[in-house]
Amino acid sequence: MALGSAGSRTLRFQLGCYGLVLPTLALLGVFTFTPMIWAFSKSLTRYEIGEDPEWVGVSNYREYLSDPTFLASFANMLFLTAFAVLVRLIVPLTVAKLIISLRSERHRHFYRILFLVPIVIPGVATQLIWRTLVYEQSGLVNRFLGAVGLAAWQHGWLTDPRTALWAIAFIGFPFVGGFEVLIYYAGLATIPESVNDSARIDGATGARKFLMIDVPMVLSQIRLIVALTVIAGVQGFESILILTKGQPGFRTMVPGLWLYFNGFSFQRMGYACAIGVILFVVIATLTALNLRYLRSTEEVQA
Amino acid sequence: MSVARIIKTVFGVLIVTVSVLAFWPQRQTDGDVAATSLEVGDRSARFIIHFAPGWGNMPGTIPHGLGKPLRGIREVAREFVRQFPDTCIVFRNVPVSDREWLVTQLMSGQAPDVINVNVEDVWVDTHKGWYLPLDGYLEQPNPFVPEGEPGSRQWWGMFKYQAISRGKAAPIDGKMYCVSFDMIETGIFYNKSKFDELGIDPPQTWAEFEAIQNRMQAAGYTPFLTVIEAISDWGVDLLFDQFYAEILPGIDLVQDPVREQYLQGYLDWDEIAFLYGRGFFTGGDARYREIFSVMKDWRRYWNQDLSVRSMDRMRPFIRQEGLMIWDSSQLTHRLEMDKTLGFEYGVFYLPPLTEATSRFAPRRLLPTCVIGGAATQFSVTNRAFSDTSDPATSERLRRVIQFLQFMCLPENAQRITNESLQFIPNIVGVQPRPEMQPFIEILKRRYTTTKWVATFDLQFNDILQRMLGLYLNGGCDLDECLSNMERALELGAERAIHRKKPDLAMLERRWKELAPLRRSMKELPDGAR
Repeated sequence: MALGSAGSRTLRFQLGCYGLVLPTLALLGVFTFTPMIWAFSKSLTRYEIGEDPEWVGVSNYREYLSDPTFLASFANMLFLTAFAVLVRLIVPLTVAKLIISLRSERHRHFYRILFLVPIVIPGVATQLIWRTLVYEQSGLVNRFLGAVGLAAWQHGWLTDPRTALWAIAFIGFPFVGGFEVLIYYAGLATIPESVNDSARIDGATGARKFLMIDVPMVLSQIRLIVALTVIAGVQGFESILILTKGQPGFRTMVPGLWLYFNGFSFQRMGYACAIGVILFVVIATLTALNLRYLRSTEEVQA
Repeated sequence: MSVARIIKTVFGVLIVTVSVLAFWPQRQTDGDVAATSLEVGDRSARFIIHFAPGWGNMPGTIPHGLGKPLRGIREVAREFVRQFPDTCIVFRNVPVSDREWLVTQLMSGQAPDVINVNVEDVWVDTHKGWYLPLDGYLEQPNPFVPEGEPGSRQWWGMFKYQAISRGKAAPIDGKMYCVSFDMIETGIFYNKSKFDELGIDPPQTWAEFEAIQNRMQAAGYTPFLTVIEAISDWGVDLLFDQFYAEILPGIDLVQDPVREQYLQGYLDWDEIAFLYGRGFFTGGDARYREIFSVMKDWRRYWNQDLSVRSMDRMRPFIRQEGLMIWDSSQLTHRLEMDKTLGFEYGVFYLPPLTEATSRFAPRRLLPTCVIGGAATQFSVTNRAFSDTSDPATSERLRRVIQFLQFMCLPENAQRITNESLQFIPNIVGVQPRPEMQPFIEILKRRYTTTKWVATFDLQFNDILQRMLGLYLNGGCDLDECLSNMERALELGAERAIHRKKPDLAMLERRWKELAPLRRSMKELPDGAR
C-alpha cells in the first residue's frame, strides 16, 4: 500500500513535470518542427507564393547542386566562418586575459564595462556605419588614403571583386566582441587559485601559462563560442544583405542569402526550401563535429 | 559630499538632459502639420482607404531634401473626403519595391488598397488574384468629369500619353492593372558651364559622345556618372534597341492586338522564350555580345564605384568634378531647388550608334528610343474588395476607384504632379512646368522595342545586374558573364512558358513565315537560320 502510494506520488510528480514542459513543447512543435517538416515537404515541389505547389521530386536539390552560386557561396561561407572563428577565438580571449590580469578590481570592472557597452548597438547599425562611413567612396578608408597621398589605392571596397569579401570579413575590426570577452572572462575567473599557484611554482608564467594552463581550462567557453560562431556563419546573411547583396557577381554570396533571394525576391519558395534543408544538414553536421572533437578538460579527464 | 559623487551626479544629470532634449518633439508650423499628417478624415468612417502614393508623392516628403514638404495629394484627399464624409484616407509609406514585403502583404490581403508600384512587378502576380484589372473602369466614363470634357465618355480619354499608358497592359492576359498618373523620363544631365568652357556641345552620335568624353577625361574630369542599376536597365534597353532594330521584322513573332498598336514591335515574354530556344540572347548571339562589349568600352569614362548611393553619385556632379550624370527627370527638382548650384545645367539624351562605332548599328541613323514612361502607376490590390471578396459587389472598391477618378481631374492632378519638379503630367489639361521641357521632348520619341530585360523574369533580372556589374568591374570575362546570364535566361524562359502557356505551335509557324526576311540578315545565331 505504502509502495503504491509512493509510486502514485512519483507518477503525479512526473506528470506534473511533463505538464510544465508541455506548453514549451507545443510552441516548439508549432513554430519550429512544423515549419521544418513543411519546408522539407515543399522542397520537393515547384512552389511559388500564391500558387499551388506542384510535385517535382528531388529536382530542386539537383538544380541547386549545379547552381553557379553553390560552390562559390559555400566557399565564401567557409572563408567568412573560418575567419570569424579565428578572430573570435584569439582576440577576445587575449583581451579577457589582459583584463583579468589587471591588479585593480576597479580597473577590471571599468574595462569589462567598456568592452561590453558596444553590445547595445544593433548589428544593423554597425553594418550601416561600416558601409557608409568606412567603406564608401567618400568613407574613412578612402579619405585616409587620399590624405596620405595614396589616392591610387582608393577603392569601392565593397564593390571591387578583389576586395569585397575581405572587406566584409574585416567588419567589426578589431574584433573585440563584448559578448565573447565576457564569456572568456567568466571562464578565466573560474580557474581555481590553486591551479594558478601550482603553475607559478612550476615556473609557468606569461604566454606559457596562458597557452598551457588557461586555454585548456576555458575549452568549454571556446567550444561555446565556436559553436555559436559556426552556426551564425552558416545561417547568417543579414550583414551581407545590407552590405553587398552578395555582389559583385556572386563574390560575396552565401547560401543563406541565396535562399532568401529565391524564397522572397524570386518567389521560388520550393527551391529556397531545398537550400534550407541542405543548410540544416550542414549545420547539424558541423555542430556534431564540434561537440565530438572539441571536448573540455573536465570531459577529457572523465 | 565627495568629489566622486558630485562628478557622478553631474554626469547623470547631463545624460538625462541630453536624452530629454534629443527626444523632444520639434516645433511644427500649421503648414508642416497639414503636410505631414498621414490621415485625412475620421478613423471611424465607413470606408478607410489605405493609400501608398509612393515616395515622390508622399505627404511630408521633401524631395532631395530641398524645398517644402509635399502636401498636394493630401489636399486632394481632403477635398474628396469633404464630398464623401464616410471615407477616411490613410497615406502609407511602404517599401513596395521590396518584393519580400509586397508579396507577403498581398498574400495576406494586408497591402494598402492602392499602391504605386512599377506595373512590371504586378504582371508576375496577376494570375494569383492579388490585383484588380482596371479595364472595365477605364472604359467607362469618369463620373467626376463634366459632359464633353476628356474622360466623360471613357476614363481612358483623360490620359495624354496614350501609347505609354495603354502599353502597360499585362503581357500575360492583356489586361490593365494600373492607372498611369504621370510620366518620368531619363536623360543625361550635363554641366553646361563646363561644356562651354571646354568648347563641347551635346553629341549627336555615339562617336561624338566618345570624343567629348575623351576631352573631359583629358581635362581631369570624370566624364560620366552612373550606377549599375541604370546601366543594367536603361543601358541594356537602349543598346538592345539599337542593335536589334534592323532584324526586328524577322524576329517579332507576335502582334499583340491590344498593345502592339502602341508599342510597335515590342518583344514579349513568349517571344523571348522562343527566340532564346533559337540561340538569341546567348553567348552565340553576336548582337547580344555587342551590347556588353560596347558597355565595357564605355566603362572607362565612368565613376569608379558603380554601386554608390545616389548621394555619392550626385556629389561629384554638384562639385563639378563629374560633368554628366545619367538620371531621371526627378533630378530636375534637386538642381532647380539648389540655390547654391554653381553652374548652369542642360539635358540631352543618349546619342544613337553608327556603323563607325559598331557593325550592328542601324545603317540609317536611328534616334535612341524612349525607355522611361509611366512614373506614378496606381494599382488596386485585393484589399480594396475585401468587404465582399467580389469586385462586382464591393462598395469599398467603388469608393477606392472613385478616389482614383477624382485624383485624375485636371485641377487635382495639377496640384499633385506639378507640386515638385519630378514628373510630367499625364492628364489632358494639365500643363507641365517649363523646367520639364527637355523630358517632354524626349518622350516624343519612339518607344523601346523591349523592356524585357528588366521585366522578363525576377531572377534573370537579378543575375543580369550582378554579372554585368562584375564584368564591368573586371571581375570576369564576357563569356563567364554571358554563361551565367544564359543559365538564368533558360530558367526564366521555362518559367515564362510554365506561367503563360503560350501557343508554341503558332510561334513556330510565324518563325517559319518570317524565314525569308531573316535570310538577308547578317550574323544571326546559328539556330536562327
